[in-house]
Amino acid sequence: MGHYVSKFTSLFGWGDREVRILILGLDGAGKTTILYRLQIGDVVSTIPTIGFNVETVAYKNIKFQVWDLGGQTSIRPYWRCYYANTDAVIYVVDSCDRDRIGTSRDELASMLGEEELQEAALLVFANKQDMKGAMSSAEVSEALGLPRLKSRQWAIYKTSALKGEGLDEGLDWLVNAINAK
Amino acid sequence: MYTLVSGAYRYFTRLDEYNILILGLDGAGKTTLLEKIKHLYTGHPGMAPNRIQPTVGVNIAKIPMKRTLVKFLDLGGQPDLRGIWESYYEDCHAIVFVIDSCNAERIEEAKGALLGLVKAGDLDGVPVLVLANKRDLMGALSLAEVKEMVNSMADFMEERDVRVLDSSGLEGEGVRAAVEWVYSRIIDNRIKRPPIVPDT
Repeated sequence: MGHYVSKFTSLFGWGDREVRILILGLDGAGKTTILYRLQIGDVVSTIPTIGFNVETVAYKNIKFQVWDLGGQTSIRPYWRCYYANTDAVIYVVDSCDRDRIGTSRDELASMLGEEELQEAALLVFANKQDMKGAMSSAEVSEALGLPRLKSRQWAIYKTSALKGEGLDEGLDWLVNAINAK
Repeated sequence: MYTLVSGAYRYFTRLDEYNILILGLDGAGKTTLLEKIKHLYTGHPGMAPNRIQPTVGVNIAKIPMKRTLVKFLDLGGQPDLRGIWESYYEDCHAIVFVIDSCNAERIEEAKGALLGLVKAGDLDGVPVLVLANKRDLMGALSLAEVKEMVNSMADFMEERDVRVLDSSGLEGEGVRAAVEWVYSRIIDNRIKRPPIVPDT
């Protein structure tokens, strides 16, 4: 119900709705680094997230409520508790981690199969491009099975959260994709 | 009770859906065209053309038109992404093939990609609009030249509606005419390619 009320109020320009975004991906992909890169524009030293970090990020007059959920195997089952009312998912992949790209694909597939995320736009960050031997975005997209996604808006961007590269381009795309829904 | 009423409401207000694929080589101007379509038909300002990056993925615009919902899907055009296109053929109702008419060097490559589309079995009978884009730039191929290229593959077109129009996705010239032609074709073709009826 609250959802409809906020949709209604946003029609008239009041009640400025915050866009809800989840940052997901395996542990060590760089989710928390990306979150704080987006929020404070700098690299913070992070420890593996147990639970979640949530921050409000303002970008181009849009307020994002960004949830960064811990990515370790034992806590991935809890991702689904956060799916409701999500506008977009930023899925972060460690482009150097060839061994676990299959696991990453499976987690992505089961996530996208969820009813609550049918309308969510998907932005993939092929992260850690600053490292040697990183997979190209084409390789990552193939390995994740992105070409077989149907009726969903998606995009993949090469990023280096450490250097701050690619994140703005990705967010530009995301802002536009969410507005168009 | 709420479920019943809202279910009935959804049933009576649901719209038949049509999918239009926007295809073409990388740099032809597909995303710029999509943004222009969005702007013209929804008033949504769209992305500034100078911020548009090469698409690696899929952009979608959903536009309500006369009691139907038309989905424009703009698929990335780089060579290693063209494999994505196929998975969309089955559910598509029309194709807009965008050509950069200023790039004479890649016209053969464009022709090859277009030929691949018209030969694809999943696309039998699907209307094709070839859009000679970037008319606003100097040195563009003439519409007649693009038509000639399309005519040269007439043998493979078989029974389908084909048309060549020109446009400037950047300036918006010819965009409405293109959308209107495609829309009229998908409606005419709806017996052969029925719309997707969303679940209620």
